[in-house]
Amino acid sequence: MQRVLAYLAAIVTGAAIGLGSALWLAGLLPGTNNVAFGNVDVDGWRSDFAIGSEAADPYTRARVAHHGLLALAKSEAVYFTRNTDDDGRSLSSACTYRLSGGAMPAGWWSVTLYDQASMLPANTDNALSIDAGRAGSGAWEAIIAAAAPADTKHWISSRNAGAFDLTLRLYMPDPALLSEPEAALVPPRIERLSCGEHG
Amino acid sequence: MKRWLGPLGVLIFVAAAAHVAALHLAPGVIIARALDMLAARGVALHRFTTPERVTPQTQSVVRSSPDLYYALCRYDLSNPGTQVSVRMGSWPDYQSLSFFDARTDNFATIRGSGRAVAVRLLPPGSAAEEGAIVSPTAKGVILIRRLAPDAERFAAATTAGKVDRCRLEWRDRIAAPAGAA
Repeated sequence: MQRVLAYLAAIVTGAAIGLGSALWLAGLLPGTNNVAFGNVDVDGWRSDFAIGSEAADPYTRARVAHHGLLALAKSEAVYFTRNTDDDGRSLSSACTYRLSGGAMPAGWWSVTLYDQASMLPANTDNALSIDAGRAGSGAWEAIIAAAAPADTKHWISSRNAGAFDLTLRLYMPDPALLSEPEAALVPPRIERLSCGEHG
Repeated sequence: MKRWLGPLGVLIFVAAAAHVAALHLAPGVIIARALDMLAARGVALHRFTTPERVTPQTQSVVRSSPDLYYALCRYDLSNPGTQVSVRMGSWPDYQSLSFFDARTDNFATIRGSGRAVAVRLLPPGSAAEEGAIVSPTAKGVILIRRLAPDAERFAAATTAGKVDRCRLEWRDRIAAPAGAA
């Protein structure tokens, strides 16, 4: 009897360990870091260029199915995500940030704010991204804050986002971006300006 | 000590098997749930949706972009005698027609900025044909993206999308099989 119970316990424990480890490594457990993956890291902006392709490993496949369903393969678009500011602190809707950058090595780009569930935060501000068209050519900047700043051309609302991350989409990427991302891409900077009740 | 070797071996084997099985099955389960959710939200089989602009209130897929127009069509090529005829109308800015199988692979994308695109999608195992793409799995999703970062452009994209087409056909006939939308 004791022997049977030992085997039963081994089966149950093994199944729990196997399932739990798979879900954890694939980023499918609640609270998992959405950006702790990928094979490309440019100044803290992380990406996995295998997304959408047959080369994607099972962990990437499972993560994409959950966090980035219907993402395009890298020949058409690449996606970088970051959840910390330039000093390595987690992004929070309690703070105000300056997002700034320049031209990107792609036909079109955008930066969009998502909450921890990988969804647009529940607000009605109609200000959740900036894209190449609005930013124009050359240097640009936007303010990320929970309330609209008084004198800012581009505002990205973090209202109701809590802890959030930013996704940089680069459509029609230049070949150099795919072959040498660290050399080709100067990603946006994220500078924390203040923190408090209204950021 | 020896009597624990058996249970320990079983534990390691079951853990490894459960790990591999969970990873193998997770994308399919997530995709199946996503397809069910899309169906519940009105994404038809063999017909492009008339989408709403992506907002926090209308979003149905994780990490959708509020700057893009997305039109979705679910397909089912379980009958090997069928094909899906797909047409993407013209749009002056960026647009693309992308195909996703049941394993999340983006197995084909056609860029169509400034022009219309027509293509046929064939069941798994079909021989290659000019003007056609073979789907790796029987079921999947076709997605049109159009760059439309404001309400005015989105309204224009919606007008352009009126000629988009996603239709199930018999491969030797034009008429749609009974019951196909």
